[in-house]
Amino acid sequence: MSPTVNLSTGERRPLLRPGTSEVAPTADDIVLSTQHVSFFYGDVQALSDISLDVHRQEITALIGPSGCGKTTFLRCLNRLNDMVPRTRLEGQVLFDGEDLYAKSVRPIDIRRRIGMVFQRANPFPKSIYENVAIAPRANGQRGNLDDLVEESLRRAALWDEVKDKLKSSAFDLSGGQQQRLCIARAIAVEPEVLLMDEPASALDPVATQAIEDLMQDLKRDYTIVIVTHNMQQAARTSDRTAFFTVDQRPEGRVGVLVEYDDTNTIFTNPKDPRTEDYVTGRFG
Amino acid sequence: MGIWRRLRNVGFWTLCGLAALAIAAPALWVLYTVFHQSLPVIGWRLLTHNTNAGGLKNAILGTLWLLFGVLVLAGIVGVGSGIYLAEFAPRGIGQVARFFSDVLAGMPSIVLGYVAYITLVVQAGWGYSYLAGVIALSVLVLPYIVKTTEVALRQVPTALREGAAGLGMTERIILWKIVLPPALPGIMSGVIVALAISTGELAPLLFTVGFTDNNPSLALTHQQVPYLTSVIFTNLQLPDPQAQYLSAAAGAMSLLLLVILILIGRLITARSVKATRRMAL
Repeated sequence: MSPTVNLSTGERRPLLRPGTSEVAPTADDIVLSTQHVSFFYGDVQALSDISLDVHRQEITALIGPSGCGKTTFLRCLNRLNDMVPRTRLEGQVLFDGEDLYAKSVRPIDIRRRIGMVFQRANPFPKSIYENVAIAPRANGQRGNLDDLVEESLRRAALWDEVKDKLKSSAFDLSGGQQQRLCIARAIAVEPEVLLMDEPASALDPVATQAIEDLMQDLKRDYTIVIVTHNMQQAARTSDRTAFFTVDQRPEGRVGVLVEYDDTNTIFTNPKDPRTEDYVTGRFG
Repeated sequence: MGIWRRLRNVGFWTLCGLAALAIAAPALWVLYTVFHQSLPVIGWRLLTHNTNAGGLKNAILGTLWLLFGVLVLAGIVGVGSGIYLAEFAPRGIGQVARFFSDVLAGMPSIVLGYVAYITLVVQAGWGYSYLAGVIALSVLVLPYIVKTTEVALRQVPTALREGAAGLGMTERIILWKIVLPPALPGIMSGVIVALAISTGELAPLLFTVGFTDNNPSLALTHQQVPYLTSVIFTNLQLPDPQAQYLSAAAGAMSLLLLVILILIGRLITARSVKATRRMAL
């Protein structure tokens, strides 16, 4: 599919939603595509030659042992690693076919369209309302944001729990609620892609279930890339799964992509023995 | 409980008590002496009359006026530099700036007063003046403000910055809306410490602002400014006992100002600790 979004102007095509008269997304509809991406922290290589396509309105899970670079990879997808000094990316990341790392592209424009939810809930030390409203307002939205705040909280399945205490501190919420607040906050910017870095790793099973249900719901409108340590979570929630591992090389430990396929295939019929060892729990 | 254990216990607590006393004693000693010496002149007259009439009104006003100048000048320059160092400065520039800041922090205040006298009072031709004094004091306390500002900003969790960046906020907005608010109490307490130091300084002012029995004027240059520490210093050398009492009273007044500043600082720190604890990031 040809690129229809101009990255530098931020002009976007209407979202293709199921049930509308527009063409339904197909398996070939690739939102993000990395091509031979290698990543370096100073002189230390963290990722080597990662090529992977993220499909529209699917959940793509990145799994693998600790230190395999899956979080680093995720952060390459919205240029968050730009904030870390002395880092370097080789290869290409294409977003709707355009080079994400082109000189003319501003990282902040990217991050407004590719949102991020972090491993540990990191609400701002402000009210629940402000947490959701602050980014849209900072990004230039004027006027009454009540509707946007309500809509975002509803979509994050948090509205009913907080609608009577919007003015109280975000820290009054439980861990699971805080994480859903962070999802609401990300949704409020109206991104096209949501990157989630182990969003449920610090949560109990009930809160985890809530986040997973939410992801299925969000999938209808958003493309989700999720890093997870939890293989059951990947198997339960994702459409495709990428298995990363650590490659011992003479120059050090480097993250590599072993196998990328339908989640079903990865978990039931993987091609690479390393994947099989990992998903069956023999390693990692 | 065995007799030895009991003895050791008593001995330990005795030592703890003595240690606490050793800290409190000097402070109490100073407070007692100053207030005792100033007893004969303590009264409303201190607040209503000027130094030539047995009061301290002009000196108190002058000190507050100088503190205001330090708050504005050192506050703006110090907080600005701290923000620059914490958020924007390249490593090299940061290291150089921090080195000079450390040198400045260890600078004897009398040397600073001398330099200010030569350059501002004499060469710039301002004479003994408010501006020369404010500049000398500001340079003296600048390192404290820069340091505390930088530390307060660095303590803001990376998770907050990344969270904001992940929403596409610009650097400027992240600084103003996300990073500065939680760092503000820390920055403020640095400014308060700087004011407390300024309250007690004499050396940089001795060379730069002179003294007058009149109320301080709003003139920036060519007008001398009265202040409390000068009264302590000069009046003690006068033969008149009343003047000497006033010296002690000026000391008491400086201490009072200091205590107020410390209490304000405590209040701010307590609030910040509470806020930080809740962040728990």
